[in-house]
Amino acid sequence: MRYEERYVRRRKIISWIALSLSTAAAFFGLFWLGFILFDVLRHGISGLNLELFTEDPAPPGIPGGGLRNAFVGQLEIVFFAVIIGVPVGMLAGIFIAEYARGTKFSKTVSILSDIMVSVPSIVVGTFIYAILVKPIGHINLGGILAVAFLSAILSFLFGSILNLFTTNILLKIVRISSERAVKLLNLTTTLITVLFGVFLFVFLLPKLVDKIQGFNGWAGAAALAFIMIPVVLRTTENMLSLVPWSLREAAFALGASYYNVIKDVVIRAAMTGILTGIILSISRVAGETAPLLFTSFNNSYFTTNMNEPISSLTVTIFVYATGPYEDWHTKAWAASFVITFFILFVTVIARYILHLKYRG
Amino acid sequence: MPIFVIMNTDINQVGVMKKIGKPPLKDIFFGIISFSASFLVLTLILLIILVLYKESSLAIHRFGIINFIITQNWDPVKQIFGAAAPLFGTVVITILSLTLAIPMALGIAIFLAEVSPHFLKTPVGIAIEMLAAIPSIIYGMWGLFTLAPIMSEYIEPAIQKTLGQIPLIGKIFEGTPQGIDLFTASVVLSIMIIPFIASVARDSLNLTPDLMKESAYALGATKWDVVKDVMIPYAKLGIYGGIVLALGRALGETMAVAFVLGNRHEITTSLFDAAATITVTLANEFTEADSDIYLSSLFYLALILFVLSFVILALAKFFLLKAERGYSR
Repeated sequence: MRYEERYVRRRKIISWIALSLSTAAAFFGLFWLGFILFDVLRHGISGLNLELFTEDPAPPGIPGGGLRNAFVGQLEIVFFAVIIGVPVGMLAGIFIAEYARGTKFSKTVSILSDIMVSVPSIVVGTFIYAILVKPIGHINLGGILAVAFLSAILSFLFGSILNLFTTNILLKIVRISSERAVKLLNLTTTLITVLFGVFLFVFLLPKLVDKIQGFNGWAGAAALAFIMIPVVLRTTENMLSLVPWSLREAAFALGASYYNVIKDVVIRAAMTGILTGIILSISRVAGETAPLLFTSFNNSYFTTNMNEPISSLTVTIFVYATGPYEDWHTKAWAASFVITFFILFVTVIARYILHLKYRG
Repeated sequence: MPIFVIMNTDINQVGVMKKIGKPPLKDIFFGIISFSASFLVLTLILLIILVLYKESSLAIHRFGIINFIITQNWDPVKQIFGAAAPLFGTVVITILSLTLAIPMALGIAIFLAEVSPHFLKTPVGIAIEMLAAIPSIIYGMWGLFTLAPIMSEYIEPAIQKTLGQIPLIGKIFEGTPQGIDLFTASVVLSIMIIPFIASVARDSLNLTPDLMKESAYALGATKWDVVKDVMIPYAKLGIYGGIVLALGRALGETMAVAFVLGNRHEITTSLFDAAATITVTLANEFTEADSDIYLSSLFYLALILFVLSFVILALAKFFLLKAERGYSR
């Protein structure tokens, strides 16, 4: 055999070995995924029954009971996290993608939020503990600011929905389209919104700031919102930047203001992407445990009161899995099963929608 | 002219805005609201550093910086706290899990980019990304109930019998294999960070221009030659970025590690011993801290972790941005 042939053959063999190793690595990765999912499925199915969802936990050590408190608490915390995190994240994303497109400011914010996405979630927990759990109990600046922030967000949401709703009525149902009428309507809704916000602040302040003692559900929601904001921000920014510039130009040419261009053209064009991103971010925070450990803490009783410590599925899994009772372990597996398959289901669906929409 | 028109550098848009003239009130209003939202993101980062610093200032004054880092004691009764043990645990686990994860993840990335037949690419890619979507607490539980018994019964004794017999290296495999130790925690963590490295590396490898690959094939290169000499050098920066990103994730991971590490504040020479990381210490002791200095020391740990991971993630971002710029050239 000639030297060249031997050389070629040797290289082919090396190539074959290296590539088989990489294939083996891929199957090794799949093996772990299968192993973990199969294990969660195997242990989880046995603990799954109707009582898990409809009954509160039995006293420690006594078998029976369910995890109704944890399911409800989890839903509540995630719901309020979404209420706080999504508007802030979306607005910030809109600002850096539209008004401040291409500036240093928008680059800084987007790089920093990329970093924030991966900041250890337990540090977020300690941070929220320091501002919302530790000092609350007597009137304090942090609590008042938090309430002001919450009422501002709620009234903003209320106002936008009201405005959308009434404008639709005016334009589509009553068929009035005079500029003056629209202006008057906008003015009234703004006024109502501001009044609503002030009312909310006055209403919430004594309810929240004085009553909250120590760990509370609001802090848990705030911690999850903190994690959501950068994720939603980046998604919104990416999706808005995919909307072609000519679409905006067309709207500008019709005399629309930038606000209307954003509201009626850009957001609409990017809505599927943004919504899917929001769903992905929800599925991400739904599995977070570390930030809830010192904020919403845990509660073995059923409660919907966000001023108290409130139990969540993930923290319950942590407590139950490290606990001494066999029954607790079964329950922890069942809860893991529910949360894992919920998250995987949502993730796969959302990715599939994104794949369909932004194919190629 | 309102501020956000000046700030905009897009020539087209400034032209349009100028012709409109003074923007309507709602435009300014919405601009201000959305600006404050994005400003809030900046404030939050500053606030997190300030608050953590303020809360830990008691411990910083009492123990100093260098002293806190090199002290091994963690004694709530005598109120002496040092970060050496949790820092050591964090560093060991991070390094070990990266060494286990990097070859695996690169193998997966190469498989997905060049080896795999077309019909397998999407399903295998999605499956690997699903590994990243599984909540970390599930990894922890699985590690505690499934992996730890397997480790203590089969894998760790086997390692002790083989590698443990070698003189110097044997030291790090000493002790009774409990399954709740540094080694198991690193394995769990490495499975967790594989998808982060793999997906970034795959995306970077995929960006290699076909022309370059085809030229190499035309010169008689084998597939592995193309991967090794064309694709990997081309995607180098992206791969570094992915690795550093995973490093940042591994540093801050809490729940996956908390179950299988045992929270023991000692620096051990053996990988088969229980240990502590910063995150595990925080998760286990934060709600039990009964004195101001104890809580303050825990905040100090959180501050150290935050600064560490922030710097590392910034480095990752730097690599990825540089890589992006390189590709667009």
